[in-house]
This record gives sequence, structure tokens and C-alpha cells, in this order.
Amino acid sequence: MGGQVSKIMGKLFGSREMRLLMLGLDAAGKTTILYKLKLNQDVTTIPTVGFNVETVTYKNVKFNVWDVGGQDKIRPLWRHYFSGTQGLIFVIDSNDRSRIEEARQELHRIILDREMKEALLLVFANKQDIAGAMTPTEVQEKLKLNQLKDKIWYVVPSCATTGEGLFEGLGWLSNNVKTPPQKSK
Amino acid sequence: MPVVRRAHTGVTPGKLKSQYPADSPERHVEYILVAAFHVDRGPIMEHQYPGAISGDENMLAELMLPDQAHMRKEDWTIFFLHKDTSEEAGRVDKKRKGKRRKGGERDENRTEFDTAEDSDEEESGPEAATEDQEVEGGEGPPLIYVLNLVNTKQDNTAKRGAVVKAMAICTRHSFLHIYKPLLLLALEEYFKSPIPETLALLYDAVNSMDLSLMPRLSSLEKHILQASDTKDLFIEKFELMIQQRMAEDSRSNSISSPESPSKLNLDLARHGTRYLTPRDTHEFESKVIYNQIPVPIKVPTSLSPETVGDFSLIKLIQAFSAPHASSAQPFMLHAHLTTSGAYTHPIIVLVNALLTQKRVIFLGHNRPSGEVAEAVLAACALVSGTILRGFTRHAFPYTDLTKIDDLLNVPGFIAGVTNPAFAHHPEWWDLLCDVPAGRMKISPRIEPAQVTDGLANFQQQNPAYAPNMNGSGPSSSGPPSLTPNNDPTNDAPFIADLLTSIASRHGESAIRSKFRQYITRFTRIAAAFEESVYGASALYVGATDADAGSHGVRGHGFVWADEHARARELGANVWRIEGWRNTRSYYAFIQDLAAAWERRPIRSIDLAHQHDRLRSLKLSHDESAAIYLALAACVRSYDEVCQLLTVTPENNAGLFYLSLGLFHPRAEVRRATVELLERIMGHEAGRHFWAQLGRFAKTAFSRVRREVGVGRMGSREGSGEGGGMDSRIVR
Repeated sequence: MGGQVSKIMGKLFGSREMRLLMLGLDAAGKTTILYKLKLNQDVTTIPTVGFNVETVTYKNVKFNVWDVGGQDKIRPLWRHYFSGTQGLIFVIDSNDRSRIEEARQELHRIILDREMKEALLLVFANKQDIAGAMTPTEVQEKLKLNQLKDKIWYVVPSCATTGEGLFEGLGWLSNNVKTPPQKSK
Repeated sequence: MPVVRRAHTGVTPGKLKSQYPADSPERHVEYILVAAFHVDRGPIMEHQYPGAISGDENMLAELMLPDQAHMRKEDWTIFFLHKDTSEEAGRVDKKRKGKRRKGGERDENRTEFDTAEDSDEEESGPEAATEDQEVEGGEGPPLIYVLNLVNTKQDNTAKRGAVVKAMAICTRHSFLHIYKPLLLLALEEYFKSPIPETLALLYDAVNSMDLSLMPRLSSLEKHILQASDTKDLFIEKFELMIQQRMAEDSRSNSISSPESPSKLNLDLARHGTRYLTPRDTHEFESKVIYNQIPVPIKVPTSLSPETVGDFSLIKLIQAFSAPHASSAQPFMLHAHLTTSGAYTHPIIVLVNALLTQKRVIFLGHNRPSGEVAEAVLAACALVSGTILRGFTRHAFPYTDLTKIDDLLNVPGFIAGVTNPAFAHHPEWWDLLCDVPAGRMKISPRIEPAQVTDGLANFQQQNPAYAPNMNGSGPSSSGPPSLTPNNDPTNDAPFIADLLTSIASRHGESAIRSKFRQYITRFTRIAAAFEESVYGASALYVGATDADAGSHGVRGHGFVWADEHARARELGANVWRIEGWRNTRSYYAFIQDLAAAWERRPIRSIDLAHQHDRLRSLKLSHDESAAIYLALAACVRSYDEVCQLLTVTPENNAGLFYLSLGLFHPRAEVRRATVELLERIMGHEAGRHFWAQLGRFAKTAFSRVRREVGVGRMGSREGSGEGGGMDSRIVR
């Protein structure tokens, strides 16, 4: 019964679903972001073996968020998650200046994949709580986002542990999604 | 060996060999591996003992650290290594050859065998050569089975708060589940002392496991043991092994006693108490002493090639039956798969998919990877029915995205995954089985079934019974219906019977027997189909011998009540039989049949056919007399009785239909039946079948035996109701 009611409500108020893929170098804070969104809690995470996937509902949109492990050896697997992805969340450790170029390469490689053509790009400039973090503009420049033609992108300063910026990012994704999101079943 | 045995009737003569001789150069466990998830580098191999198993450590390390291992404290995975799937597995095999070169002649054979085998289709070529190899399972080089335990431990002192480590045992034995308790102890030990010596300790412990008192069984004996629940079946063989050992012990004792008599006597005394016959002959009990802890081990005595690890068919069937029962969802139609229409039972869809060599994935999102691995192994055993093979060889009990390219190179696989990303790629699979949801889905991208000559021929011969293009028979081509009567495949009553059996707690072995019967039945229907549309069938060996009419009976193959029933059932099976032809399991089965034929003691009559006639046809007295007389005439030796027992399994009426010969109006038939039953009760396995026969038949037996005259019986020792155990017929 409950399921039936919410189904009808969903139809009336246009509940939608959106598949998101969250990538980034290892230890950027992907899993912490995922569980902050899901549980509104700062969970202590350990390295992700493989992936995590959770459903997060925000403003009537059901986000299926895939969080895939970031160690360089397992990055070639990212491509298997591309098909059907409507939004890419790329997470940057704003304090790790030494690896920002590595992050840029990975990001550009993903974005150029045919299967990611339609996907929106949201960049979380994460770990803003640490002094000396790169600003969103700095991250944008270092990632050379201006070079990305025909791409809708947005950089949000975030802090996974406090939740700062996270829902702003989701809101931007749901407002800008190009392809009509699938009706929830 | 069979020649020697044929001279005797009741008992196994000569020296009995061990399945796992103590002096065998083959080790129980070949490698121990340890991998860890490195916070910066991902999965890495930490140690391999006694040496490196393969050039590609990464592949192994990835398999050892299953997806989402960080989400649970403990997880099990199983995977197989063999050269069919990837280059590195090929290197593994080369390594093995090198190692084995020092072995005996049989090893040399096996090594050549390895080289000869390029593709799996050739795998059982020289299999029939000796009985030794027959017992090996006739599968070509055995796979390396890997049982892997992974632990995640929260550790504040570690970088990023946790340590994830996995330890694996690599063995050629398919009963790899026996090592579970040892892996638990050893991985715990490794967390404390992460050094190669910890691996060595486990390696030495498992390889000192003594299975040398486990007798080697012939394929007929294995067949009988598997189909039976009797706990002391073939206990004589275990006793004989012990006697042989004690004789050896005393011999070696007398030879070397001058050196240190007291010590050896002590040894003997200790051994004397240690040699115990098993409580259940289906399992051999041994132990492994690891780190001074004795761990009891039970090894299955009679293994079928497609039975790997411990799994539950009941669990698999229940997982996919409950959702179907509460709210059946229609399948997309596919001629090979939905043989009873859109509402075909999922278990039947699964069996059909495996028979016709489709790509099958078991997905268990948020479930331990051990769970999907179990489902994969259960599915292999289910479709094999211990009759067919070639499934485990193409099974990936646990795999992940890192192996997707290798996986897609395998035509027709059975894989277990936990990553729901697989569901988003219908181009990767033909049938997706969602384990937690209990639902199956046929891929919209599946290749449609091809129209074949066999189908066309059948349509010509039996237009009224030909199936439609969606695969369903004529009677279910209308609106989908769930009534069993409407299903010419007879699958619906089979499933119903299966579920009743599960609900009445008949147990796992009963369910396995039912699948054995189901698959046997399928292969026999397929043979009849091929003979019908192609004029001949390699699925039946010896048709001319059986039809020649020696011993006064002729005929072979499946028995139908009438022509209508035959055409109807063939028609319902056309698509899946045609889909099964040209698959690996089909060709392997043909090879197995040919090899089994070479070893078969009775070839002049088809025992199963004649027994089925007794069971399911209304025969005239002359017809049934001919069958009883023929059986009594040709079932004499030990092996011949074994062969008869394989067609009269205890859970399928046992000797009941044979015993009906005691009530035959003709005295000679009754006498022949008594003689046949006497031979059976004087047989190691047959005596248990006799014991399960009803009181009614036993009373009739005693009456007939008195009736046919004490004079004849006088020459033999009385082998009455209770005497069967002691009086073994020796001619």
C-alpha cells in the first residue's frame, strides 16, 4: 500500500531519477561525500574496494550515486560505469596540489569518452575546511575546464565532513539535466 | 580391472586402490596466496607459497579482493584458474608441467594430455584408456580451484583506518570447501605474523592430510553411491582398505622390528585404534593438524565432475521460486528458454539457458560474494545432474569488472558478480539472475534461436506437434496459462514435485537425485528426437546391439506410453534439444557415452529401456516374461549387478518392478526372478537395495523359493531374507 501511494504521489509531483557517477583520485573524499549525502553523517571511511552505490533523494529527485574506487590501477574500470550516466561528479582534494595535474588528465580522459557526451559535469573542490586549499577558481583553471567544449560544467567548493556545498551541487545537476530524466518506476 | 572383477560376483576381489594414495606425487593443495588492498595502489599480491603461481599477480589479487570487501568483515570467494580463459592461466599450466615431470608414468600421460588439449572440446580424448583416468573424472586436466577468504579489520594505526587482506588455497580437488576452517585460522594468524612462514605452516598442514584409506570406486559404483542415501553402502571397501593397511603395517613391522621393536609396536597399537570405518560412506573422515589444533575434515567419497564446493540446490531453487509463486512476471519470449511460454518457471529458464550455452550472470548486489559463487556452483550442478559436464569449466563463481574482457571471450559462461553495473550492460549477458530479488531477466539483446534442420524435419514429420517460433508447443501457443496440463514439456509437474519435496524436507540429496533424473530424461528424449529427425543419434550408443534381440528382448531408449505422448513430448523439446546440440556439454556427453559404453558390462540389452517397459507399459505376460528372463540371464557378475542397480535407484522404486516378477504366472519367470534377486542380495550394494524392498515382496520371495524346490537351493548355502549378507555368490 505504502509503495502504491508513493508511486501515485511520484506521478503527480513528477518524482524523477537520475544516475550519477562519482569519480576522482584515491582519497579525494568520494565515499565520505556519498555517505554524508545518504545519511547526513560524517562516517569514517576506509578505502573502497570496487565501488559503493547508494540512492539519495533530494527535492523529489532520486539520485543513484555510484562511487568508484580511485587507485590508479583500478581507474581503467571507470569506463564500465559510463553508459547511462547522466551526471559526472568529479571530486578533487583541493589540498593536493601535487596531484591536481593527474586529476586533470583523468577528468579529460573521462569527459572525452563517447558514452559520457551527454553527461553533466559537477566538480566538487573538496576539503575546503583545510587552510591553504585551492579556491574553486584555481581548481577550475588547473583542471582547464575552459578547454571543454560543448560541456556543461560547474565547480562547487565543498567540505564533505560538514556537508557544505553538497546539496547545492545536486540541485545544480537536477536543474541542468539535459535528457529528460527517467520516470521513476 | 573390470575383466578381473567379472570372474567374481559378490565382492570386489584383489587389492583395492586408494583414491588418494599416500605416495602420490600430487599434493592436496598446490599453492597458498595472500593479497592485500593497498591504500595507494589497490589490490596487490603479498606472498605466494611455495612459489609464484602465475605471471599475472594483479589478476589474482583483484579476484582475491572482491568488490565491496570493505563493507563486510569477512567474505568468501571461489574462482577457478585454467588456461582456457586467459594467458596467465596458461602459464600456470606450464608451471605445473614442469613440476610434475618428476612424477610417475601416469603423470607423464597427464602432461601430454595437457599439451594435446588446446580447446575444451577435445578434452576427454584419451579418457577411456584406463580405469585410473576414468576415476579422475575424465575431464582433461583438472582446474585449479581457489578458495579465498578476505577479512577487513578496522585498525586506527593503519593509514586510512583499515587493513583488508585475503588468503587463498589453490587445489586440484573440487571439494575445496573442506579448507574453510583452516583458512579462518590461518588468515587470523597472518594478520599477527604477515610472513611467508605463516603460509608454509598452512601448506604443510593441509598437505599432510591422510586420505589414503579412501577406496577408489568404479564409475558404476560411484553412480550407485551418489544415488543412494544408505549410510553403509560399500562399507566393505572401507573395511578392505583397513585390512590391507594393517597387513602392510604388520609386514613393515616384522621387517624392521629388530631396529626398534618397542616403538613400532606402539605405533601399530595406536594405528589399530585409529583405523575406523566411516559413519557414512559418502564421506571420508580425516583431520588436519594446524598449529597443534586438530581440524576435522570430511571429504566426499564419490565426486561428480560438476560438483564443486558446498552449495545448496534447495537454496537456489527457493530463491527463484518464491517470487515467481507470489507474483509471476512474464519473460520476454525466447525459443530456447521460455519452453512453456512467458510464464515458464525461472528454474526451467535457467536450465534451458545453461543447456543451450547462454551467458548467465548471477548478480548479488550488497550480498557477500560467497553467496553468488554458491549460486553459480549450484547452477552448474543443477544442469549437470551429474550426467553432463563442461559447465564448471566455464564458470566464474565470482568475478568483477576487471575481468569483463576475458569473460566476454568465453562463449556461454556462468558468472557470479556483486556489482550492479552488470545489470546496465545487457549486451554482456543473455540471462541475468538477480539473487536477492529472486528474479531472472532475459536480455533484450539476446541472439534469437536459429531455425535448424532438426526443427524443419520434425515439422514435416509431425505437423500437429511442431512447436511455434517462440518455442512453445502447440497447446501453449494460446494465451499464457499456468495450468500444468497445458504444458507438453512436463516441466510444470516436475517443478511442482520439486517444491513439494523441498517443503516436505526431503533434503538436498533427494533434490539432486531429481535433477539427475530430469537431466537423464532430457538426454534420453534428445536421443529419441535425433533418431527420429536425423535417423541416428550419437546420444545413444549400442542401438543395434540392443535391438538385435539377444536374450529374447529388443528395443532401446526412452519409453513412451503411446505415439501421441511421444510426439507431444518431442515437439515440446525440439527447440532446447536443437539449442543443446553443438554445445560443449553436448559433445562432452557424446564422448562420455562412448567411453562408458567401452566399460559397460552388459551391452546386448538396454537395461533402462526394459526396466522402463516394466514400469510404465501395460505388458502381456509373454512380454514381461521375456524381460524378466533376459535380466536374469544377463545380470550375473559383480559389475553386471552394479549396472542393473544404476537403473533402479532406491528413490525411484528400487527393486520393486523387478520383484513383481515373483508374481508372474509362469513358474520359470518366478524362478528366474528369485535367482536374480539372490544375486542382488549377495552383492555389496545390492543387499541394501534388497533390504529396502517391501515386506510383501520379501514374503513372496521366500514363498517362491520354497516353491521352486529346495533341491536346487540345497547346493547353495541358504540365502534367505537375513542371509544375504553372509552368503556371497562366487560364481
